[in-house]
Amino acid sequence: MINRDLITRNINSRNTSNTYLPHPAVITEVITENSQIKTFVLEFTDKTLNTNFSYESGQFVMLSVPHHGEAPISISSTPTRPGNIHLSVRIAGRLTTALHKMEPGMTLGIRGPYGRPFPVHIMEGRDLLFVAGGIGLAPLRSVINYCLDRTGRYGTMTILYGSRLPSDIAFRQDLDIWSTLPGITCLTTVDTPEPGWTGHVGVVTTLWDHIQISPSDCTALVCGPPMMIKFVLRDLAGMSFSPDFVITTMERHMKCGVGLCGHCYMGGKLVCTDGPVFSMAELKDMDIEELR
Amino acid sequence: MNEKFILRKDHLTGFLRKLSKGHRLVAPVRNRYGDLMFQVIDSLETTDLDLSEQAQESPKAFFLPQEEVLFSYEASGGIYDFRPINNSEQTVYFGLRSCDISAILYMDVIFLRSPRDDHYMKKRKDSILISIGCNTPGENCFCNATRTGPFLEYGFDLQFTDLGDRFFVESGRARGDEIFSEWPQFFHPVTEEDVRLQYQLALEAKAGFRRQIHVEPAFSKLRDDAVDTAVWREMASRCDGCGGCAYICPTCTCFTIFDRMESTETGKRIRAWDSCTHAGFTRMAGGHNPVDMKIDALRRRFMHKLYYDYSAFRRPSCVGCGRCVDMCFGGVDIVKFIDIVCAGTRKRTRDSRRILGDLLLEAGLISRTDLEKALSRQADTGEALGKILMDLGLVTCAEILGVLSLENM
Amino acid sequence: MTNSIEELRGAEVIMVIGSNTTEAHPQVARRLVAAVDNGKNLIVIDPRRTAISEFADIHLQIRPGTDIPLLNAMMRIILDENLIDDVFIEMRTENFSSLRDSLYTMDLNELIAITGVTAEAIGQAARMYARAQKGVICYCLGITQHICGTGNVESIANLAMITGNVEQSFTGVNPLRGQNNVQGACDMGALPGVFPGYQPVQDLETRKKFERAWKKSLPENLGMTLMQMTHSGRDGQIRAMFIMGENPVLSDPHASLVKETLEGLDFLAVSDIFLTETAELADVVFPAASFAEKDGTVTNSERRVQLMRRAILPIGKCRTDSDIIMELSKRMGYRMDYEDMAEVMEEIALLTPIYGGIYHDRLEKDWGLQWPCTDRNHPGTPYLHKYSFTRGKGRFVPAEHHPPDESPDSEYPFLLMTGRVYHHYHTGTMTRTSEMLEREAPRAVLEIHPDDAGSLNIRKGDMVKISSKRGSIEIEAEPTTRVMKKSLYTSFNFRETPVNILTNPAMDPVAECPEYKICAVKVEKVGHNE
Ligand SMILES: Cc1cc2nc3c(=O)[nH]c(=O)nc-3n(C[C@H](O)[C@H](O)[C@H](O)COP(=O)(O)OP(=O)(O)OC[C@H]3O[C@@H](n4cnc5c(N)ncnc54)[C@H](O)[C@@H]3O)c2cc1C
Ligand code: SF4
Ligand code: SF4
Ligand code: FES
Repeated sequence: MINRDLITRNINSRNTSNTYLPHPAVITEVITENSQIKTFVLEFTDKTLNTNFSYESGQFVMLSVPHHGEAPISISSTPTRPGNIHLSVRIAGRLTTALHKMEPGMTLGIRGPYGRPFPVHIMEGRDLLFVAGGIGLAPLRSVINYCLDRTGRYGTMTILYGSRLPSDIAFRQDLDIWSTLPGITCLTTVDTPEPGWTGHVGVVTTLWDHIQISPSDCTALVCGPPMMIKFVLRDLAGMSFSPDFVITTMERHMKCGVGLCGHCYMGGKLVCTDGPVFSMAELKDMDIEELR
Repeated sequence: MNEKFILRKDHLTGFLRKLSKGHRLVAPVRNRYGDLMFQVIDSLETTDLDLSEQAQESPKAFFLPQEEVLFSYEASGGIYDFRPINNSEQTVYFGLRSCDISAILYMDVIFLRSPRDDHYMKKRKDSILISIGCNTPGENCFCNATRTGPFLEYGFDLQFTDLGDRFFVESGRARGDEIFSEWPQFFHPVTEEDVRLQYQLALEAKAGFRRQIHVEPAFSKLRDDAVDTAVWREMASRCDGCGGCAYICPTCTCFTIFDRMESTETGKRIRAWDSCTHAGFTRMAGGHNPVDMKIDALRRRFMHKLYYDYSAFRRPSCVGCGRCVDMCFGGVDIVKFIDIVCAGTRKRTRDSRRILGDLLLEAGLISRTDLEKALSRQADTGEALGKILMDLGLVTCAEILGVLSLENM
Repeated sequence: MTNSIEELRGAEVIMVIGSNTTEAHPQVARRLVAAVDNGKNLIVIDPRRTAISEFADIHLQIRPGTDIPLLNAMMRIILDENLIDDVFIEMRTENFSSLRDSLYTMDLNELIAITGVTAEAIGQAARMYARAQKGVICYCLGITQHICGTGNVESIANLAMITGNVEQSFTGVNPLRGQNNVQGACDMGALPGVFPGYQPVQDLETRKKFERAWKKSLPENLGMTLMQMTHSGRDGQIRAMFIMGENPVLSDPHASLVKETLEGLDFLAVSDIFLTETAELADVVFPAASFAEKDGTVTNSERRVQLMRRAILPIGKCRTDSDIIMELSKRMGYRMDYEDMAEVMEEIALLTPIYGGIYHDRLEKDWGLQWPCTDRNHPGTPYLHKYSFTRGKGRFVPAEHHPPDESPDSEYPFLLMTGRVYHHYHTGTMTRTSEMLEREAPRAVLEIHPDDAGSLNIRKGDMVKISSKRGSIEIEAEPTTRVMKKSLYTSFNFRETPVNILTNPAMDPVAECPEYKICAVKVEKVGHNE
């Protein structure tokens, strides 16, 4: 029995003179993932930070875009590949729309990292199942690459990724690499096919029949839209996954990222500091609106 | 710490003048419209402090302003620079009430945990807190039920008690002691009589509450999830989402952050008060709101104030100041909520406060004629009923405390 | 308003008609809620399910524009069941027989059928109101912004009078005003035919009085109404205009015509605190100071004149409205020299009997004075018509159903109603610059009944195009049962969805108030808003 306190609360607070002051960071590259998602590769203006900025997979930063305030964005790169950080962002509202217009050479603001990371230590020695929908692959990309970079420490890896349309499939570069690696099963599915699509059709939970997992040895990491999370969690519980080994991320409106503003309050917890990573066991104890 | 002295009322202005030498002085002043507000006192000659009752608004805005600049920025081309700003000033707060102090202690818990809020911390470090205990609790006060007043044992730098022609002054922190030793000329040793009188007043004040609010029973009901959905629905149907309850509340600290552009190249990042009853508080980009505003928002508000904080910090994040009573357009205040929850009914809210008089009558401690006599005197003087009954020699302080604690069971 | 807001607390039965009180008049709504909590009865008459209707004992969800038949039906029932107040009618009113006769010629069942509400509910409401010792009616723009607005108001007065629910404390008929100072603007003669205090311009004595004070001869003919001025088209007879603190390009019906009219002027000057859509058309714009930057008074719905104090000095180059007027007047050759607003108030008191006792120094204390307040010792008047109506006896004026100017037809099958949202004021010129208010209500939505939405294949968040004979706009749909089938509702506060492009400028012939509340439209789906 794994104690869920093993997933410890992250108290990774930077000791700056101003809790809210971001660090300038320059865009060095923009990767267009699909029509809605772009990955921004960033380097801090303060060069020392490029090596000193230590983070773990699953954590997020507060990203400032001039005149548009801030938004929480998961780090989609892995700490095992230092030097720059990747943020993969989907267009959602004003800030993200403004961000998508930005080009290499322009500067953004970053403060963080914040939040409780994925519990990589309890994953060691176990099989791993990653289930993602849409932009939900951004935080999982970080942990998947992290696990790949630390070869031999984990069992088999299965990656399931759902998109609405074939043209919505993001992170193709990564998916291509993962599909070719030995010991990894990587399946993609779409809700609605388009001409020329020969792959799986249906929501991500229709892929269960195509994979082999043994729930007692496996840790599942699930990220995506609330509806997807709800159904995937339900199915995993049905397969008798232990709730301590089903890990997901929750999304809430966020303003401060450091547990002060109250926006991300959820069932008595704060998503920014107590999460965004939660185990299914923890979520059961809370009363979460969208999982009801 | 815990030193005690006497300050003669005649010497108060002189004392405050000394204090306000290196500090800004903030104290309650009555404005032209009759509202009692905490204000920055520029001149002690031309401004009369008013210590007669609790100020209409708490001093929250001095620690967490309704709008506060976090930093300014410059953005042009490849540059994006952030410039920190200091919003703090050395300040003496005089005339805070016990609930105000308790609310500041609560804010400390929120803002000074790790990671702490530097803007708040600076303001707190720069502050001297001088409170005055409440000899007669106000009409809507219920700090007895939240254990945050009417007098405190700690939390203040200095606590004043009004003994008529003089103040009984105690220190609660090292900073208070420093004040005693910095200006010893104002402070006289306390006599045994002073100590006895102060104790007596503090006891009487406890008996002077006009409302009995069952904070702990409400906590148990919330913990056991024993609140009928109909109660939440009723509460929600009354909420217009104006945020007034949160803005007036000294312990509601939620805020939002946004950029205010000042030119194409410059702007400020601002934080401003926010409220969990606003729809935009939880709404995410694209319009999805995980919180059903009709029910969950209000549930969250009261659960947070009365249950979550209680379980996390052993104290509710309501300090019983009574300020939100009568603030809400729909009559959704914490007092009504607790009443409804405890009554267990889903009848529309009627004013169901239990008057002290009824309790004493039920307990057979006074007669109806006694009560009427006391009530008519209360109508004249506005004094607390408990105090009148004691003055008339009808009940003792112990008896009043007795029925109140029964009532609080 | 004949009552004070506080007096709502004392009423036994309160009838709210055509008012989304919670959103538009929260301070009144809180009294309504308190009254309900104290066991008083509330009747709400509104085609939409509003927040206040949830508190009502009876909610009559009538078809839009059927207020007169409803009120007539209620009166007919009151008459049939002999619940009228004979003594009051006898002593205090005139022309009752004509109302009675007209009600008797009407067919009750027919009236009820027009409203779309059950006979039972109407009967209940009629009895509840008639039997009340103290009954109050509050109405708002849902009553006046109709082609039959005057008839609506008269019918309300009829109902109040046949039941004797006027002239005492905790009774009466109360229009709720939309702004902090509409009442004040009307009081000060911002109407085509009157000087301050409703003194008619056509009255020779009055005119002489003002001419003596102002040392100018004054025209005796009536001025033009707002609608005549803003809807005369490119070649209207008015050639120059000075618009202060109004944004008619967005707020007036048939907005394209307004724009055309203003663009056709030889000269347009606008004074406003922001550069509004109207100001953008102006030749000269005066940056005006906001309420916080000036002294003065406002008069609210309950005729209460209150003093407002300057909190900060005017920012930048802006100047107060009075400064702008005085300076302009000086340049145009007429010296206006008022030292301060107190001096202006003194002149008002001098020339306006109902304001005769209102001076700044008297307003310092408490919350001001309610007019009529005729001299320095007069305590003000909390409720009007205490001893007699302004014109002597109350006169009954029977009214008949007048269908909306534009009824739905096969091409435009929906009725569109307009109103405001809680968070924004008018065209949002001020409120939409507040980050918080803008976050709370960033856009307008179109309320449409789920059945109608279903048959048009419209889901929540879809963009739809609504068109009337005058134009069309695109807006996000929100299926909700707040509106009835075949009715739509949206707010006019948003420049992105300028709903007044659609609305009908047809006017009530007496009050000249346009029929904002109803126009016929069609709805088409155009896409989905992510
Ligand atoms: C822990 C966490 C990690 C996230 N990681 C990613 C990621 O890697 N990639 C990605 O594309 N998106 C991510 N999101 C979602 C992303 O934060 C929102 O899409 C984004 O804030 C929308 O901002 P906007 O300014 O474009 O929208 P607007 O409508 O302009 O929103 C205004 C502000 O509201 C707040 N807000 C609105 N929606 C959200 C939301 N869904 N979550 C949190 N705050 C919100 C933000 O402060 C935002 O700046 C993450 C959210 C959270 C909570
Ligand atoms: S004061 Fe009342 S209406 Fe306003 S947010 Fe609070 S509960 Fe809602
Ligand atoms: S909830 Fe009400 S009574 Fe309690 S501290 Fe806040 S304002 Fe005061
Ligand atoms: S984002 Fe501010 S508390 Fe979580």
